[in-house]
Amino acid sequence: MAARIIARCVRSLNQRSVYFNRVNTAATLTAAPLTHGRTFSHLTNGHKSSLAQISGGSFQVFQRRQYGDLPPLSLETIRDRVLYVLKLYDKINPERLQATSHFMKDLGLDSLDQVEIIMAMEDEFGFEIPDAEAEKLMTPHEIVQYIADKKDVYE
Amino acid sequence: MAAAYLTHQQKVLRLYKKSLRHLESWCIFRDKYRFYACLLRARFDENKHEKDLVKATLMLKAGEEEFWTNQHPQPYLFPDSPGGTSYERYECYKVPEWCLDHWHPSEKAMYPDYFAKREQWKKLRAQSWDREVQQLQAETPAEGPKSEALPPARREGDLPPLWWQFVTRPRERPM
Repeated sequence: MAARIIARCVRSLNQRSVYFNRVNTAATLTAAPLTHGRTFSHLTNGHKSSLAQISGGSFQVFQRRQYGDLPPLSLETIRDRVLYVLKLYDKINPERLQATSHFMKDLGLDSLDQVEIIMAMEDEFGFEIPDAEAEKLMTPHEIVQYIADKKDVYE
Repeated sequence: MAAAYLTHQQKVLRLYKKSLRHLESWCIFRDKYRFYACLLRARFDENKHEKDLVKATLMLKAGEEEFWTNQHPQPYLFPDSPGGTSYERYECYKVPEWCLDHWHPSEKAMYPDYFAKREQWKKLRAQSWDREVQQLQAETPAEGPKSEALPPARREGDLPPLWWQFVTRPRERPM
């Protein structure tokens, strides 16, 4: 029955060569009760299956399984996001902020501020930074390096 | 963290962080959370210049007890953090790199340049292993190592000890 539904979807997609499709899907429909598993596996084989041309037409249907994941990170995007979050913090002067500016020495922040910054980074990138390692991250560059290390970016 | 005990400052910072996280779990609307977070920060700030450590420790103890009574029963945990949904989810797919040595030659022939480079790296490891062990034996105190942190390479042109394990560690999200 599933093969029938999939065949119907394919039929609705391929509007141009309708006749050819009907002939072929009729063939698969008659074949379905006999070799049910085989037609099904033919239609959805593996993670990324590409339905080859059903008819002699040039139309191709690509079925791709969509896994849920974040877009891939790169060093530049990590650095941009870290600096963007830091510029949003009102205790930091955005003109004086650089990648190597130390929070305590250059920007005059507190250790409580540093905890808040690390929490903002955790919220931004969606993973927890343990306390033992978080208390050592004192510049944006170190934060970028730590995130790239944890997320396997340009390893 | 080098020593086995936490300093007072570290304890205060950890209390601050976890109280903010639990506050975030209670106040789900962002502006409300921001308001109460500022109030909490003001409470920490007015006592931060306390010089008497006895009083400071008593305040910290009172703070921890207050945190314990006001904590959230199901605080928000990040997926990768312990207790989260995807904690150690991919641990079973993280294959150690010595399994590459057990591949069949026909499989290894599919990636010739990778395995050629791997042979060079393995030679490098064999060369630097004695020096690494020497350095570790020299630097470890007699009772045993004080912490898990490894020392950096001391001499020019030397590799840090046990670098191979670090360099060939599996990815965080195995493919």
